[in-house]
Amino acid sequence: MEIEIISFGKIAEFLQNQELQLEGIVDTEQLREHLENKFPRLSSMKYKLAVNKKLVQVNTLINNNDSVAIMPPFSGG
Amino acid sequence: MMENGRYHRQIILNGFGKAAQAKLSEAKVLVIGAGGLGCPALQYLAAAGIGYLGIIDGDHIELSNLHRQILYSTAEIGMQKSVVAAKKLTELNPEIEIVAHPFDIDKQNVLEIISDYDIVLDGSDNFKTRYLVNDATAQLKKPLIFAAVSGFEGQLAIFNLADNNGTATNYRDLFPIPPSVGEIPNCEENGVLGVLPGIIGTMAAAECIKLVTGIGKPLTNTLLHYNLLTNEQYAIEISPGTDYTFDDLNTSQPNFMEIGAEELDQFIANPSAILIDVREVNEVPQLNSKLYQKIPMSGFDTYLTTEIEQKNIILICQHGIRSVAAAEALLDKYGNTKNIYSLKGGIVKWRNYFTAHE
Repeated sequence: MEIEIISFGKIAEFLQNQELQLEGIVDTEQLREHLENKFPRLSSMKYKLAVNKKLVQVNTLINNNDSVAIMPPFSGG
Repeated sequence: MMENGRYHRQIILNGFGKAAQAKLSEAKVLVIGAGGLGCPALQYLAAAGIGYLGIIDGDHIELSNLHRQILYSTAEIGMQKSVVAAKKLTELNPEIEIVAHPFDIDKQNVLEIISDYDIVLDGSDNFKTRYLVNDATAQLKKPLIFAAVSGFEGQLAIFNLADNNGTATNYRDLFPIPPSVGEIPNCEENGVLGVLPGIIGTMAAAECIKLVTGIGKPLTNTLLHYNLLTNEQYAIEISPGTDYTFDDLNTSQPNFMEIGAEELDQFIANPSAILIDVREVNEVPQLNSKLYQKIPMSGFDTYLTTEIEQKNIILICQHGIRSVAAAEALLDKYGNTKNIYSLKGGIVKWRNYFTAHE
């Protein structure tokens, strides 16, 4: 399946917006693990996922053509 | 008051009118941080006629603030931000009440200060303040307009306000615990284009006016991302999380102190004190390694696993931001058993001192 990745802030510096082909990944927990393996900098950061513009609070199924946002906290003022 | 023409152009707006203007004049809004976000937000809120406008900021105006903190002029460098801001805003609109709180918001004063206001707009520049303000407003159930920037991007949201389903969220629903020491850089370390907090601060003021007057659709339970480079916006629906707790507020907690170069002097070559430079190895100016121990922030977590013998610990960095993060980490470890200090403003602020003591 193919999903769209949309990233923000410092995360966008090493994980650009992209179409991502996924094999054997069905939910957000597996996607988190996959992304942290592929982009190790992610594993040391606080971030939140949103699937189709809805915040992920519990493990959520991912479907073909979903868009997944990856957001770090911002503090600057 | 409303007959004098000051608010005429907004009163004649379709769907606004005298009723909305009256709501603005009755509103009490606190803006936290009179910096890049706070300046434009304050200007538009004062101009629009918010009846009671509070400004809390303990910082002084610096040259490097002026490209984005547009309430201040070059001649005012060194003056208190909140005091100068209050003076400028009173000149802009003498018909409203403006209150300057010329100190930092902290655990001891946050509940008392915030309880005087209906709405809080957070334009601060660090996670410590953001979590403090979030926890205080969440516990007092005060609407919080959250505005923040990073690089060329901004985040905007409204917290502690129930939607039509009765659901209210706060910052901890997004990010339950603060980032660890040095994980996310701030404007001083990461840079910021002045116009970005101008845009985000102005959007925050617009959300505040929408909330007070009841016009439009405010960003309740919504996190809006704005990208200056592409003009793209991306809005995410926030749902409540489960796994977090708020900090205890208004209790007497151990604390660290921010000091200037004069106070630093007593600790130089003093066996009861360790002076720690937390900047990364390649940062200049280099300090005398006999007097200052170099423990970069990138390795600070490892350093925290070792024991410090000295009673007085003084943290130093380029701008006094990372040293605060390091001080907090040491405070978590040692509590009141050590005296912990951070050099306020960092080496940049006290450059003359460090040049003279090489």
